[in-house]
This record gives sequence, C-alpha cells and structure tokens, in this order.
Amino acid sequence: MKHNLSIEVKQQSIALERFLRVTRHRGFNLTSMNIESSEEKYIVNMMVDSDRPIYLLTQQLKKLVEVNQVEILDTRTLAATN
Amino acid sequence: MTGAELTIDLLAKHGVKEVFGYPGGAIMPIYDALYGSPVKHYLTRHEQGAGFAAVGYARSTGKLGVCFATSGPGATNLITALADAMMDSVPLLAITGQVPTAAIGSDAFQEVDVLGMSLSCTKHSYMVERAEDLAEILQEAMHLAQSGRPGPVLVDIPKDIQMGAVTYQPWLAADDYKPEFKQSELAKANELLSQAKKPLAYIGGGVQMADAQDELMQFLKTTNMPAVSTLKALGSVKPDYPYDLGMLGMHGGQAANLAVQECDLLVCIGARFDDRVTGNLAKFASKAKVIHLDVDAAEVGKRKPVNASLVADLKDSLPHLATHKTNPEWLAHISNMQQQHAWRYDYPGEKVYAPYLLNRLSQLMPNNGVVCCDVGQHQMWVAQHMKFSHPSNHLSSGGAGTMGFGLPAAIGAQIARPNDFVLTVSGDGSIMMNIQELATIRRNNLPVKLLILDNQRLGMVRQWQQLFFDGRYSETNLSDNPDFVQLAAVFGIPGETITHANQVDAAIDKLVASEGPYILHACIDDKENVWPLVPPGAANDQMLTEVAK
Repeated sequence: MKHNLSIEVKQQSIALERFLRVTRHRGFNLTSMNIESSEEKYIVNMMVDSDRPIYLLTQQLKKLVEVNQVEILDTRTLAATN
Repeated sequence: MTGAELTIDLLAKHGVKEVFGYPGGAIMPIYDALYGSPVKHYLTRHEQGAGFAAVGYARSTGKLGVCFATSGPGATNLITALADAMMDSVPLLAITGQVPTAAIGSDAFQEVDVLGMSLSCTKHSYMVERAEDLAEILQEAMHLAQSGRPGPVLVDIPKDIQMGAVTYQPWLAADDYKPEFKQSELAKANELLSQAKKPLAYIGGGVQMADAQDELMQFLKTTNMPAVSTLKALGSVKPDYPYDLGMLGMHGGQAANLAVQECDLLVCIGARFDDRVTGNLAKFASKAKVIHLDVDAAEVGKRKPVNASLVADLKDSLPHLATHKTNPEWLAHISNMQQQHAWRYDYPGEKVYAPYLLNRLSQLMPNNGVVCCDVGQHQMWVAQHMKFSHPSNHLSSGGAGTMGFGLPAAIGAQIARPNDFVLTVSGDGSIMMNIQELATIRRNNLPVKLLILDNQRLGMVRQWQQLFFDGRYSETNLSDNPDFVQLAAVFGIPGETITHANQVDAAIDKLVASEGPYILHACIDDKENVWPLVPPGAANDQMLTEVAK
C-alpha cells in the first residue's frame, strides 16, 4: 500500500540520509520525494510503498533525534487509487 | 581551552571516571589532554576490545560507558561494539578522531566516513563541524545515550576542532524522554488482568534499563504470576521467586516454553518478541491476549499485535497494573511443569559435563559476582544453568550475538566493580576473537577469571550442521587450537586444564580461590549439544531434546 508522508526534519547534514536509511531498512520503498529547505528545517514530502503497516515506519522515524514531526497524509485516497 | 581539553573536561564533569580506547593520529590531541587528567584511560589492544570493555562497564553498573578510537580503521574497529550496544540498548559514548575539516572528502590518510557508517548502529551520531558546537554536542550525546531507551551515541571530532580554541558553555540538559501511558490503555490492561485465568509475565532487558527490578518483584509477588525471562532479563526475577520459569525461546527451558504456549494472557515487560524468543511467531502464545509495557513506542506491535500497551518508563507503569486473583490450578500446573522439566546434572559419562560445571560454579562463586560470556553453546549453558541475582551480573551479547564479547566485557566489568568477582565463560572459538585482551588484563593486573569450555569445535554451528545440514561439518573443526593454558601463561596468567568429571569440583575451588587472574581450561565432549532446542520455524512447544550422539 502507498502512503504519503510529511516529515519535518532539522536541517543537519546527515539528517536526510538517516531517515532514508530507516525507511529502506524497515521495508518501505521510496516512490517519490520532495524536499524544501528553510533556515532551520527540511520539509519532506515522500511517497512510500510497502506491504507492511505504515506505523512500523512512522514509529521508527519519530525516534530519530533530527525528526521533529511525522504526519501521514491522505492514506485512504491513495489506497483506493493504488 | 582547546577542543580536546574541553572534551576531557566535560567527561569529568559528567562523572565519567574511566574510559577505554586506543590512540592514533587523528585523536592525538584528545590523548594529549587525557595525559595527567582525572579521567583514567585504559588502553586495550584493539579498538573492538575498547568498545566491548565500555559495554561491560555500562552493563555491569548502569552507568555510561565511554570509548575512544582514532579515525579510519580505529573507528571501523569500534563498529561491531556499537552494533552490539544498539541491539542490547547499552548506554555508550564513542568518541572518534577524524581527519582535519579541510581534508574531509579528499580521501585523506585514515579517512573514513564514520558518520555515514554509524547510521545503522547508533541511537544517534554527530560529526562536529564547528568548534562552537562541540560543548553542546558532547553534552547532548551523553544525555541521549542514557535517556529513554538507552543506546550508543557516536561523536566524530575532526583534529583541527580538537586543537582549536573553544569556550565552554553549559548546556541546559533536555528533559529525559519520559512518555506517559494512556489511562484508557491502563483500563484495558487491568480489565485483561482481571479476566485472565492463566497469566504469564514475559520479562525483558527493559527491566534492568529502567532500574525497575523492585517494581517488577512487587508486581510478581502480589500476583503470584509465573514469569519467563529473555536472555538479557536473566537475574531480573529474584532466584527465590517460586514461579520463576527461567529463560524462554530457542534454548529456553521446557516449562518456560510450554507455559507461554498455554497462557491466556502474556504480560510483556520490556521485551521485544525477538525471533530467538518466539520461534514461529504465528504460533507463539497463540491463545494469549497481550499487554505490552515498554518505554519505546516503536516496539509495541512491531512483531506481535497487542491488546493493550503502556508506553512509559517501567518504573512508572508497573505499579499501576492491577493485581488479579491468583488461580491455584494454574499455579499448581506451573509447579508441576517446573518439577517435571527441572534440569538434571546426573550425567553418566566420565567427561566434563559443562552444565554441571556451570551450575556448581554458580553455587560456589561469591555473591554478586559478574558472569560474562561469549556466544555459542557455552553462552546458552550459562543462561540455563547459572543463577543471577541481578541482570547487571550477567553480561551476554543478546541481540547481536557477538563472538569476542566476553573477555573485553569482563575487563570493563572488573574495572567498574573492582571488588566483585568477575568471570568470563568462553568457548574455544569465541575466546580467539579478542584474545589480545589478555594483555589488557596483564597490564592492569585485573583479577578476571576465565573459563574456557573447549570442545575443539565451533560448537553451536557444529550442532546445527549435525541437526539441519546432514552432518556436513564445514569449517567447524578447531582441533588445531593452541594450548590455552600455555597461551595464558605467556601473559602471566596461571591456570590448569581438566579433562575428566572427577576433576571438576577441585578445579572450581581453585578458580574461585585464586586471587589474581586465572584460567580454567575444561575439555568437554565435542558431540555434546545444547538441549532443548526449538528448530528454526517451529513453534516453541516443538522442542527437540537429546538425540543420539
């Protein structure tokens, strides 16, 4: 199932690699990603695809020190169009 | 003040008295600042030894373990210890030197992207990019390693930042990560407890991490709930608790595994349903509702769905659990199973029987001693046949299963607890993985005791080759091992070899009575296996027991 996530990350050099590693390792394929950076943070919108329930990813992402916030956007619509 | 001086100063301010490490080019300024400082440094003979000594120090005390290494190969040699600390939630701070900032990315001598390598094996990691950030990063790192679910944190410090001028700025420590459980979940949990007829507590390493042994025992004694423990939890349930079923899982006791399969409520307290614990997950505790208590929300429902969860420090959540009415039939059944499946030590052969040796040693060694082990058959025999009064007295590489863990972990434990008896139990395979640390024992005259159970095999792999690979013993014969007593003698460590059962009791007395370091080399039957065994993919009630040798 595909999920659209919005993630707010502190703007630190390693932060993007760190959450992308977690995404891959926990069994989620990245299908699209957009990053906007402001002075202190990145806002990342990304689409992931996996057979695993999405909370297995979001709970792991929330543990990362640089991740301020994780939001699941519009899961049902995406599931219906999948 | 230089960055290096600030680093040592902050460690001292944080109460770090002892660190482990190995110097090299990119961390020389920090070693220069160490010279004559109040922080005592222990030189190991390999960076992995320093990492595991710091792990042993942390696990035997609950304090922060600290290790140093230089850039490149020094740092990569720490990686295994970091991964081990990550899997077993050990509070560890690793400080690595890095090539100067201007050289980073130029493939400089001894340059490795350690920050990149750290991502999968640390709770968090930093590379210091600006001198003015150093103080805050170090203080945050020490805090993070110990707060919430503990873990390893790495700080990579380029040499120019170690040498450059910095000012110390006190950092206002962030509050500890202390999630509060939901009252609605507590109500659900207590409802489940009130309905349960066959409840069972499944205890994990989180109890030690939360320093919640008292709260656990209070809960168990009030409820009379039978308890099973993971490898890391051994010692959390006091040995005199009558319904302690010991370790569950692949090499768990039969009573423990059968109780899990029969229970109607599983109260998981700081454990994570590891595959070595559950066997076939779909068949694990399949009749049970599940209550999960953990400080890490990501563990809840990760492998097994739960009916209620309390995400909080165990010290805060455990006292709120309701105390249900004891079911005498269930307790009688548990007691029966304990008797029926009790360990037996009346081994008929003339050879040294490792379970007997370990059980007797456990009874005769001083109270509050620390037992470290390596990984393999001996590790499972230690878990099965030795008793521990606290999990900080049993240091075993659980999640990572790292051979070579035992000797350096024992060094860290002995330095942390100089007045306690510290023993490492190893196999003839594992001991060779960090054998160079005998030099660290000699250098510091540490009274670490070493027991090698020698079957001239990589025994656990050999056992699986016998059972699951048609007896094709690929690369597991170690009959060309060195003479371990001679080897230890080279490092000034006395000891003896035994080969027969009738030598065991006297040999244990000698080992326990020895004042300094000592090695007991026990030759055991190469065909001896660890029983029971839940085969891969099987349910936990499908245990194999002794098969013909």
